[in-house]
Amino acid sequence: MKYTHLKKLRDKYAIVGVGYTPQGKVPGRSALSFYVEAGINAIKDAGLKKEDIDGLICYRQFPAISNEPEATPYLVAQLLGIEPTVLSQESYCPRHHFVQAVSLLEAGFCNYVLIIYADNALSGRRMFIEEATHPEPKNDNYMYGEFGFVGDYALAARRAMFEFETGPNTWKEIAVSQRKWANLNPNATMYNKPLTYEDYLNSEYLIEPFRKLDASLISDGGRACIVTSVERAKDLKNPVVSIMGIGEANPSIDIHQATYITGPTGAKKASQMAFEMADITLNDIDACEIYDCFTYTVEITMQDYGFFKPGEGKDFFKDGFTAPGGKLPVNTSGGLLSEAYFMGLTPITEAVMQLMGRAEKRQLGVAIGNKKPEIILCSDNGGVLQTHATIILRRL
Amino acid sequence: MNTFLPTPTADTKFFWEATQNKELKFQKCRNCGHVRWPASIACPECHSFDFEYVISKGIGKIYSFVVYNVAFHEAFKQNLPYVVAIIELEEGPHILSNVITNNPAELRCEMPVKIIWESYENYNIPKFKPFEN
Repeated sequence: MKYTHLKKLRDKYAIVGVGYTPQGKVPGRSALSFYVEAGINAIKDAGLKKEDIDGLICYRQFPAISNEPEATPYLVAQLLGIEPTVLSQESYCPRHHFVQAVSLLEAGFCNYVLIIYADNALSGRRMFIEEATHPEPKNDNYMYGEFGFVGDYALAARRAMFEFETGPNTWKEIAVSQRKWANLNPNATMYNKPLTYEDYLNSEYLIEPFRKLDASLISDGGRACIVTSVERAKDLKNPVVSIMGIGEANPSIDIHQATYITGPTGAKKASQMAFEMADITLNDIDACEIYDCFTYTVEITMQDYGFFKPGEGKDFFKDGFTAPGGKLPVNTSGGLLSEAYFMGLTPITEAVMQLMGRAEKRQLGVAIGNKKPEIILCSDNGGVLQTHATIILRRL
Repeated sequence: MNTFLPTPTADTKFFWEATQNKELKFQKCRNCGHVRWPASIACPECHSFDFEYVISKGIGKIYSFVVYNVAFHEAFKQNLPYVVAIIELEEGPHILSNVITNNPAELRCEMPVKIIWESYENYNIPKFKPFEN
């Protein structure tokens, strides 16, 4: 119990507004325009005034496409017409935003922290290769034909296939179940595009052992949310969704040297911190929103969280256990695989919408045959498993 | 095959200079014996700045590997399918490289490999091939 001192933060801070934009393929828009739209919509959704926002944190900034200006937090703040006390943006992938927001609120530097991610990656044809995972000298990886995220996560997945029983038969369950969720979500890129096991297994390898269907979508659009105190949240218009537990871990070692890629990854330590703060166990979790840049990421994260033992994912995910109507719903918007890619904000904002009871056709509850959720477990992961955040959200 | 050549930095200059003589050179900590990669001014294990150079035998095993069936850059189209692998060298370091094989389906994690050198312009690039003991 190393983190019991964090219990004082349990249910003290809340997520009070979510900002959406058009998403999927939305041509003719700059990344910056999605930042601004998502930010404004989150402020409106929370029922706040722009002057209330005194912290602005942006997720990782990818290099701007063509001749667009870089979406720096200066520029986002300028276009939102706000003058925050604190501005922050990651340059690589450390998933620090919610720990940072809670820290800023707890210390008293900020009262309302706006967190945004946006990009025009699909229309801008970003391949996620130029801006690979590695700081300098990245060209020495290019030399071997290794171009970033897909290959790097595939290296982790291949090693996992060697160390314990996993592979396409496990990953197809994850891809198919998430697609079923997407088919309940008209905002999802893969809405009305059913996926069968045969479709999955018949598709060609992209970088073996990964198929395209193992990989997250590339999306245009943005997503935002606002963090404040539960005390303030009670005076705002949305149902109160509190941060019950939060944890972070950064194993940091590059995939090409790391030996934690088959677990335990940072997910284990981060979740221990979050669960000790929340003072609950896995049995209290009603649903999960797991960062799913690849199918394998869902498996290794939930394995490290302790839902099943190494290699037992194949049985855990089968028979729709995590699909609509299943016992443990996972990635109820379709996730990064089938809804849209907004980094950790895809899973975290979906949990907020579910707990607020605003998830429409995919809303967990009697209609879908699941329990109305009170506690949802979320993950955010970055780099190539180099950084991990766990967030447990609760409807108060 | 290579469009992209090595990009030596102040930290990796010694490594690429050694490849001119077909030597795979690493820093070994004089305090704790840890052989490190990537190159660094200090040992990440014990923080000693004191090191010596060691030449790897170029023998190791495949820690993990993937098979590219799609070229993310035009220059690699003619090589498809090709294998990118993490090689665990006998001396300890894990390095990224290619495994050269006509039959990627034969590859397994932990399979023994040894170094082969491919020359491009002024560089020798370390690559690996399966190796029967």
